[in-house]
Amino acid sequence: MRRFEPSCTRDEALFRPTEETSRRFYVAVAVLLAVVLFTACMYVRQLIKGLAVTGMMQPVTWGFYIISFVFFIGISHAGTLISAILRITQAEWRRPITRMAEVITAIVLAIGGLHPIIDLGRPDRLMNVFVFGRLQSPLLWDVASISAYFAASTVYLFLPLIPDVALLRERDKKHRWLYEFLSWGWQGTPQQWKVLHRAINIMMIVVVPIAVSVHTVISYIFAMTLQAGWHSTIFGPYFVVGAIFSGIAALFLVMIAFRSAFGLKAYLKPVHFEQLGKLLLAMSVLWGYFTFCEYLTGFYGGEPAEMRSLLYKISGRYALLFWTMIVCNFVVPVAILSFRKLRTIPGILVSSITVLIGMFLERLIIVVPSLENPRMPFPTHFYLPSPTEISLFAGAVALFLLGFMLFAKFFPIISVWEIQEGRELGIAETEQRLSAYLPDEEVARV
Amino acid sequence: MSEPQRGEHWYRRGIRTLQFLSIVLMWVFLGGAIIWMVNLVGAARAQGDAITLSVGISLVAVQVYALVASVLTYVFFGLQRGRRGAEE
Repeated sequence: MRRFEPSCTRDEALFRPTEETSRRFYVAVAVLLAVVLFTACMYVRQLIKGLAVTGMMQPVTWGFYIISFVFFIGISHAGTLISAILRITQAEWRRPITRMAEVITAIVLAIGGLHPIIDLGRPDRLMNVFVFGRLQSPLLWDVASISAYFAASTVYLFLPLIPDVALLRERDKKHRWLYEFLSWGWQGTPQQWKVLHRAINIMMIVVVPIAVSVHTVISYIFAMTLQAGWHSTIFGPYFVVGAIFSGIAALFLVMIAFRSAFGLKAYLKPVHFEQLGKLLLAMSVLWGYFTFCEYLTGFYGGEPAEMRSLLYKISGRYALLFWTMIVCNFVVPVAILSFRKLRTIPGILVSSITVLIGMFLERLIIVVPSLENPRMPFPTHFYLPSPTEISLFAGAVALFLLGFMLFAKFFPIISVWEIQEGRELGIAETEQRLSAYLPDEEVARV
Repeated sequence: MSEPQRGEHWYRRGIRTLQFLSIVLMWVFLGGAIIWMVNLVGAARAQGDAITLSVGISLVAVQVYALVASVLTYVFFGLQRGRRGAEE
């Protein structure tokens, strides 16, 4: 069993963001804080004036807040699923990526989970969910599944962080109390490694079904209704695919930003982008297939309410947004990522940005047009998000960036011990493989 | 024991107490979740709702919380044991 060496200084570059703070960092934090504060003011205004300050009106009772909720929870699938699947399959190239992915999950889940509360005109009534909630309602399944996912993914982020926190405990005297508290007495003894590896192995298997179930349950808040455009049996897997798809795109943006901001080119190499780019391509094709299936079955059934909603999306008021979504989620990523020459970092950056735009549009196209076309004879109301809703979305994005930057300020954004373990294992594995088919050194000398 | 040594001793004790409290908090959270679920199952029963579904969903959610709390507790005490073993 390996002995952990806290004095190891081979990967100094990974500690640099925690030890050196540039002026750019403070400027960025100040700007993001200003956006968050402005958003907070807009929310207080909404609390005082009520939901009348939003664009929501009968019959469109769900708008930007629920779209953002589904979008952010979708992005959260980046971390846990990607990290867990890559760990389970023992993909060696995962090592510099997993930490970033796990941080995205924890931060985005917390932000996404706030959106249904923002959507409540009276957040003080939130307690009613706990006291009078009905477990038969998919809304309550959401509360249970998201909180369980948040707990599991936070633990899944924390456990692999422990050895790195212990390294920081030895280096950073200013925040020693924080690292001492979080390192849980870690000294890197064989017994401690055994315990930690076992716990990480349990969590990496457990988080996969939890992550899949969370987005399936989120799709149920739509699919369990008889609303045209929502009542679909494939909504569960369709949402899961979309979630992983947008999650990978978000992960790419974070990887590219940190690679250039903190000089991590030696760790985040083109091969990582190449491998993960293939996964993004696969998800894009899968998303296209699910979208085709979803709309074909609705079209073939020809049910009047379903047809009205479908035509409203593809050739009515939402046609521009619908076809932009198809271009962003399918045409652009497939056109770029199918060719090795284009699967470069700039190509992946363009694909990721279009995918994130496309996935936000997808959530919008699922939520709003169906509500604008109710089965009941209701006058159609065209929904336009108000400045309050747009600023709250901007605030959520700023909060995510701020959270990520602060995390990177206190903890290594790339797992140091996993990189070192990868090197050790790589050398040992190569030696073992060579000795299997080449003569031993002593024999060769004789 | 000198003054700085005593200070270090109490500092370490304080940190360990906080670490232990964080584990206790996780179990308190689990207890709260169980009470909440039981309350909702009771409410479903009182309103004549489909009780089996409520029980099923509660069991799944509570199991996840329990598993997470158990893993954390296992790691916490496992690391403490590993540390003490090395010191001895």
